[in-house]
Formats: sequence, structure tokens, C-alpha cells
Amino acid sequence: MDAIEAAACKLPLVPRQPTPYALKLKASARDNYISIVSFAAFLVAWELVCRLGIIGAYQLVPPSQLVTTFIMKLTNANPDGGTLLEHTETSLVLALTGFGAAVLVGVPLGLFMGWYKPLDIMVTPIFDAVRPIPPIAWIPLAIIWLGIGLPAKAFIIWLAAFVPCVINSYTGIKLTNPVLIRVAQIYGASNWETFYKIGVPSAIPMVFTGLKLSLNASWTTLVAAELLAASQGLGYLIQMGRRLAKPDIIIVGMLTIGFTGALMSWGLNRIEARFASSKRVRL
Amino acid sequence: MAQRPDVKIECRNLSKSFLTEQYTINVLDDISLDVRENEFLVVLGPGQCGKTTLLNCMAGIIMPDAGKILLDGREITGPGPDRGVVFQQYALFPWKTVMDNVGFGLQIKGVGKAERTGIAQRYIDLVGLQGFEKSYPHQLSGGMKQRVGIARAWANNPEVLLMDEPFGALDAQTRYAMEKETLSIWETDKRTVVFVTNNVEEAIYLGDRVIVMSCMPGHIKSQYPIDIPKPREYTDPRFLEMRRLISDDTELSL
Amino acid sequence: MKIVRALKSKLLLPVMSVGICIAIWQVLHLIIGGEFLPSPYQVYREAVRMFSVKIGGNTVWMHVYYSLRRVVIAYLLGAATGLPLGMYMGWNRTFDKVVKPVFEVLRPIPPIAWIPIAILWLGIGEGPKIFICYVGAFVIFVLNAYTGMRYTDPLLIAAARTYGASRRQQLFNVAIPASMPSVFAGVQNALSMSWMCVLAAELVGAREGVGYLIIQGMDMYKPPMIMVGMIIIGIIGASLAAILRRFERVVCPWRRDLT
Repeated sequence: MDAIEAAACKLPLVPRQPTPYALKLKASARDNYISIVSFAAFLVAWELVCRLGIIGAYQLVPPSQLVTTFIMKLTNANPDGGTLLEHTETSLVLALTGFGAAVLVGVPLGLFMGWYKPLDIMVTPIFDAVRPIPPIAWIPLAIIWLGIGLPAKAFIIWLAAFVPCVINSYTGIKLTNPVLIRVAQIYGASNWETFYKIGVPSAIPMVFTGLKLSLNASWTTLVAAELLAASQGLGYLIQMGRRLAKPDIIIVGMLTIGFTGALMSWGLNRIEARFASSKRVRL
Repeated sequence: MAQRPDVKIECRNLSKSFLTEQYTINVLDDISLDVRENEFLVVLGPGQCGKTTLLNCMAGIIMPDAGKILLDGREITGPGPDRGVVFQQYALFPWKTVMDNVGFGLQIKGVGKAERTGIAQRYIDLVGLQGFEKSYPHQLSGGMKQRVGIARAWANNPEVLLMDEPFGALDAQTRYAMEKETLSIWETDKRTVVFVTNNVEEAIYLGDRVIVMSCMPGHIKSQYPIDIPKPREYTDPRFLEMRRLISDDTELSL
Repeated sequence: MKIVRALKSKLLLPVMSVGICIAIWQVLHLIIGGEFLPSPYQVYREAVRMFSVKIGGNTVWMHVYYSLRRVVIAYLLGAATGLPLGMYMGWNRTFDKVVKPVFEVLRPIPPIAWIPIAILWLGIGEGPKIFICYVGAFVIFVLNAYTGMRYTDPLLIAAARTYGASRRQQLFNVAIPASMPSVFAGVQNALSMSWMCVLAAELVGAREGVGYLIIQGMDMYKPPMIMVGMIIIGIIGASLAAILRRFERVVCPWRRDLT
């Protein structure tokens, strides 16, 4: 409840001391202890299953070994040719570059397509034809066109990230409240002004949905591309882990991939909260 | 504790607060209220002053922080089929047809299909929705949806009917029609009704007794028994007199 | 007469779309050059050829069958395990808290990242491919069922309670039907995910399936073959989505009421 809502409330408001942080922490710990216990039990069970040899060392490794492998990989380039940090950096750079380039082209394109009919008519057929084809299906063609290496991977990732940006920006701006457009017209705004001041801001929530999907797609596609054709990166790491029959490397790699992806999503959510919180953009 | 024989619901010293980060909002402040058997009681008050909270406490959907509510002398501990509710936002189940919605309470009770259909049909006819048994809520207008809500609540044969600003979302003409219809249904099938509204005319048209609630803090301001025989005329001098009286009263409470 | 008119209006736009596409494609072919971008006619010719021979020991239809079979098995398994799990997690807070930590650790891992360990565990064959599709579909089913259940309009639950519905009755009579729209959104997402996953798994290593077709095209350095494969993939993907949308309209006719 903010100051304005408080002022409008007809009921008596009695100021109170907000719950102290320590109490909140205690309450959340109490709430979550089931989760903590369950996770601990899971880890213990996993450890036991491996130690007791129920699953062989070539298939699964216990969590304790994962920890040692992880620490080792942070600085050790064996056995695949790069440290964990180097691989992560390679992957991140590629994914974020592809993502960024896709956003820079895709979001404006989607917004313009949704607003200006002629552009829509021209571009939508191409888009609708290309869309059903999963980005991964482009890999063989990309390899023939651009060879095995960075350009092909970058192209696929860009393509995968590009599509959700366009679609969501397009839908977002198409859903602009027509009443608001009317208001702008009555005040004499030009089409460009209406687009820029009404259409785009009201499309922002959906644009961010598109960004999240796009980020997810670029990260997923990056992993696929690196699995198939790479000499560095997290996808390459887990592929090497398989070739060397070392499940600990694979699992450490998988968890790193998951964690990094989650971290990026979290980052995007924070950016959204700062710049596009629904309170600001509620039209 | 001995209870007077004609009191259906007794609210004793009800208090309820809601907490936000910085404030405690005292929605209900030591409210005591009696609802008599088969009485059409109207609770009148401006928007956002706790009428819905009071009704929800009677329904058992929320529990008061202090005080208790007795139904026929037994304390209320939660919702139940003995108190039917008609919601302002209809609360119809969108995946069920009108017939299935109206028969919902009976279905929960385990009444057989044939009997259920018969009873539901009777109430569908009573609210004037014959022919719409197989329609879905999204195909109906607001007034029709609320009629389904009323039929559904009534068909379950509750001892008390709690109606929370049921006509708030309707346009004026539909509203008048629904008020008339509610009254005629009640005359046919009499039971205790607690009706919440912010509309003075509606209150006087429908109520045997009108209770005026005020906002700062949320408590009962005054009570007005309405002695005009039903059905009432909006233009009857006695009606207008009551209207003036109550309007003056509520204006002071702003 | 009405039917003809309706058919005309529904078909006109997509047909025109396709026409414009082919036209633009032809133009690009002329600009970029035959080696890299075959013309629409070349692709058509290749398609005719492909459908008349066996590639890698199977006809094109057989390849499509293999891919679809993997998708369907994984998808149905995913629905059968994911939907109940997600729903129960959404309904029972305690169960949610027990399962959540493990799920939240596994969720951000893209299904494709499971390929190496799946091959390690299940060898090369149908196993890993079905497993990957399953993982992809499973996560989506769980998430959508969970959201549908957790965000059921509390008003509807309150209404059910006022009719004396027990917890169990609330679950089956209100919560599950109310979560159907979200579940159906998940149904469609899970299918497109499965389709993508089977493709990825087949690209990594397969001897049959549509992924195999395009890899063959790449190995034999035949862009027209790749493009035919890609078009087949696109058409099947779009058809599956369309079938599901139809199905949803039948099962959830009230969906238009909810945004």
C-alpha cells in the first residue's frame, strides 16, 4: 500500500512497526525447513546410492565427488582443454552477443510491424514461413553456408533469439488499448508520436516476455550448437565428458549450464523490475 | 447462553484488521448485530467500508480477529451449505453450463442426477432463464450471470442467504429488474437474507430493516426498520421520506 | 455457397503468404547464387526425388514415422507424469515444499544439455532420444499444471466452500477444471519443445528420423536436400500445433471467457 492508496482508504489506518528483519528471516526459515530437509535427504540418498555401488562409477558420481571435480575444474584445464571459467566465458559471450543482436533487430522490427500495416503485410509471410522451422534445424544449412565455427553458431543463436523478440513485440503493440490511441489522435498527435508515446510503452510488458523467451532460447540453442560443433564452451565440455566417460564432468557442466542460465534470467527479471515495473507502465 | 427464539444469526463484538507493511487497517471495530429469522436485512454503507468483510465473516470465508458469530446458537467456524452466498463478481464456474452451475451445491451434497436436474430447473425457471440451461457463463450478459448466481445459491436450500452487492456491476435498468425479481423469489421461498449494498434506494426497496454502516471506524451507525408493505413504490411518499432520512444519515458518515 | 466463401477467406491469406514467400525466395536465389541457395524449383525437384528413394535404408515417410513415434511416446509419458505432479504440487503446499528444491535445480538445465548423460546412461538408440524429449515435455507440463493450480481464482474456491465442498471435492470439482486453460497452454508448448528436442537428439546421432535426413544432406553437401528436410520439419511442427489447437477448442470451449 503506497502513500496514495493510503490516503484514499476510508478505513482507519493505524501505523505499525514493520516486522523486523530478524523475525522475517526466522519465519522464512521455518517455512522452508521442509524444503531444506528434503533437499538434504535427496543428497544423502544420492551419496549412498553411489557409495554402495548401486549405480556404477561410469554412470553416476556422488555429490561429494562433484564438489571436488567442480573445484578442480575451476582452475584445471584437464582433461578437455579449458577451465570451467574459460568455458563459461566462451559460452556466455556467444549467447549474450547473439541475444543482444537479436534484440536490437527483433524488438524494433516487431514493434514497427505491429504498427505499420504495409511493413506487416510485407514481412509477415516470410516470418510465418520461417517460424515453424525450429532454429536447430538450420544448423546443417548454416554449417554449409558459414562453415564449422563461430559464424554458424552465432547465426543459429541469433535466429533462435530473434523470433520470440519479434513475435512478442508485435503482439504487445497490437494489443495497445484502442481507447488510448483515440485519445492521442484527439490531442493531435501524429502517427509516429502515437506509436512512440503510446504504442511502445504499452507494449513493454510483452516485450519483456519476449526478451525472457529469447534469452532462454539463445542459451538453449547455444548449448545445442556447442554440442554439435565446438572446441570450447560448456556444451563442448559436457560432450567431452561423455567421450571420456566421465560423468562427473558432465554433471558439473550441466549444473553450471543450468545455474548460469538461471542467473541470466534473474538478471533480466531485475532489469524488468527496475525499468518496466507494472506500476510505472500500467496504462 | 440462551438465545432469543427468533434470532437466526448473532454477531457479537466482531473485530477484524488487515495488516500491510506499514499500517494496520481496522476494518471492523467491535460490531454486534442480530439477524432475525426470515428477515430481509440490508446492510448499507459507502464503498470500501467493511460491509463485504462483515458478510465474509458471516459466510465463514474469513475468521474475525475477535468476537464470534452464532447461527442458531452454534458458533460458525467456516463456510458451509447452511449459508449460501451470492458474490458480486458472480463466481460462476466457467466450465460448467447454467444447469450444472445451478445444481452445483446439490452435486456436492450427493443428490442424484434426476432429482438435481428437477430442483435446478425449478430455480432456473424462477429466475427467468428458461432455455439457457445449456449455455456457458461466457455466453451470458451480466444480469443473466447474476441470476444464475442467485439460482445456484437458492437451489441449495440454505438456511441463510448472504448477498454481497450482487447488482453492483449491472446497469440501472437491469438493476431495477433484478431487485424486483429478488423480492418475488424471496416472497415465494422465504428465508433469512442478509443483503449488502451501497445504494440507498435499493436498500429501502428490499429491506425489512436497514442497517447503516459507517467507515471511520467500521461500525454500525444506525438501524431503520422499514414498515412500508411490499412491493414498494420508489415514488411512494413514505418511501421518499425513508430515503431522505437514511440519505441524511449516511451523508454525515463520509 | 457459404462454405465455399468461408474456405476461400480462410485459405486465401495463407496461400497468398506462401506465394509471396516463394517469390521472395526466388529473388534471393537469383541474388545469392545457386550454390548456397537453391531455387524453389530445385528444391521441389529434390523433394520429388527424395520421396521416391530410400535414404539410409528408409523412405522419407519412415523417417517421419520414427521421429513422430519418439515424440509421441516421450510426450505422453511426460503428460502422464508431469501433469499429476505439477497439479499436486500446486494443490498441496507441503508436497510443493518437499519436491521444489530438486525441481528448481533441474529446471534451468536445457533438455538438450541432458543429451551427453542420456547417451552415457542409455547408449545410442531410441533411449536417449525419447529421454531428452521426455525431459523437455515433463518440465513444461509440471510448470503449467502448477501455475494453473496455484493461480486458480480463489473466489471460485471460496464459492465451492460455501457449498460445503470438502477439500477433495474442491480439488476435483473446481481446481482441476479451473487449471485446464493453463494446462492446455502447457500442452502446446510441450509439443513444440518435444519436436525441437527430438530434432536435436537426432542431429547428435541417429540413423533414422528427420534429423538424420538433414544431417545426410549436410554430409552429402546437398543444400536442396537439407531444405526439403527443413520444410518437412516445419510442416509437421505446424500441423501438430494446429491439431492441438483444434483439440483445445473442443475440450475447453469456455476458454474465450478467460484471457
